[in-house]
Amino acid sequence: MRIESTRFGELEVVEEQLFSFPYGIPGFPEEKSFAYILHDEESPFSFLQSTTEANLTFILVDPFAFFKDYEFVLDDEVAQELDMSQENPPQVFLIATVKEKVADMTVNLLAPVVLNRVNRLGRQVILYKTEYSISHKLFPDGLPKEAVKGGK
Amino acid sequence: MLALTRKVGERIVIGDNIVVTVVSIKGDNIRMTIEAPKEIKIYRGEIFDAIAAENRQAAVSKDLTELDILKTLQIKK
Repeated sequence: MRIESTRFGELEVVEEQLFSFPYGIPGFPEEKSFAYILHDEESPFSFLQSTTEANLTFILVDPFAFFKDYEFVLDDEVAQELDMSQENPPQVFLIATVKEKVADMTVNLLAPVVLNRVNRLGRQVILYKTEYSISHKLFPDGLPKEAVKGGK
Repeated sequence: MLALTRKVGERIVIGDNIVVTVVSIKGDNIRMTIEAPKEIKIYRGEIFDAIAAENRQAAVSKDLTELDILKTLQIKK
């Protein structure tokens, strides 16, 4: 399938990349179909591109690369709705916001995106954990050094 | 939109299975209980609004070439 993206240009995506969000996403209730796009195999960053709105791309972050204690309990109803099971655990991502500089990037810890890669369903779940912020700084100490440059 | 006036202890029934009861009123604060099926998600309005607003900010349309920095970061999964 070919989709248009302002960010990526014309994209060829395969079925395995397409996720249905039956409830849309808060703020975008009409957007029910997204393509999951890898940034790089090794990168904790990836993207969700709307298949119908070229202008709509979200940056996703693997929470466990940055917050090893990140955890929440998925409501039974949501788990059921997404058809999660022990054999088919959810994949969890955070939506990132970049206002100006990448160094100031924040992530939404309170409303993670949960994907089921088997039946390709997705949902942004709103947690009841008040200690989680919706705009948590990803790089509180600035961007990490571009390590191992020149093999040092 | 429907607006109703209720007293403490009075209820509003929505559909067949949602019941909102006014429990107490203290100054500006109104405490209510909501009985609803588990699949009905209930959020404080400002939290849902804040998440929708954050999502709208998160939606990137323009080509932020600066994001390529991410590729150079040595952050491993």
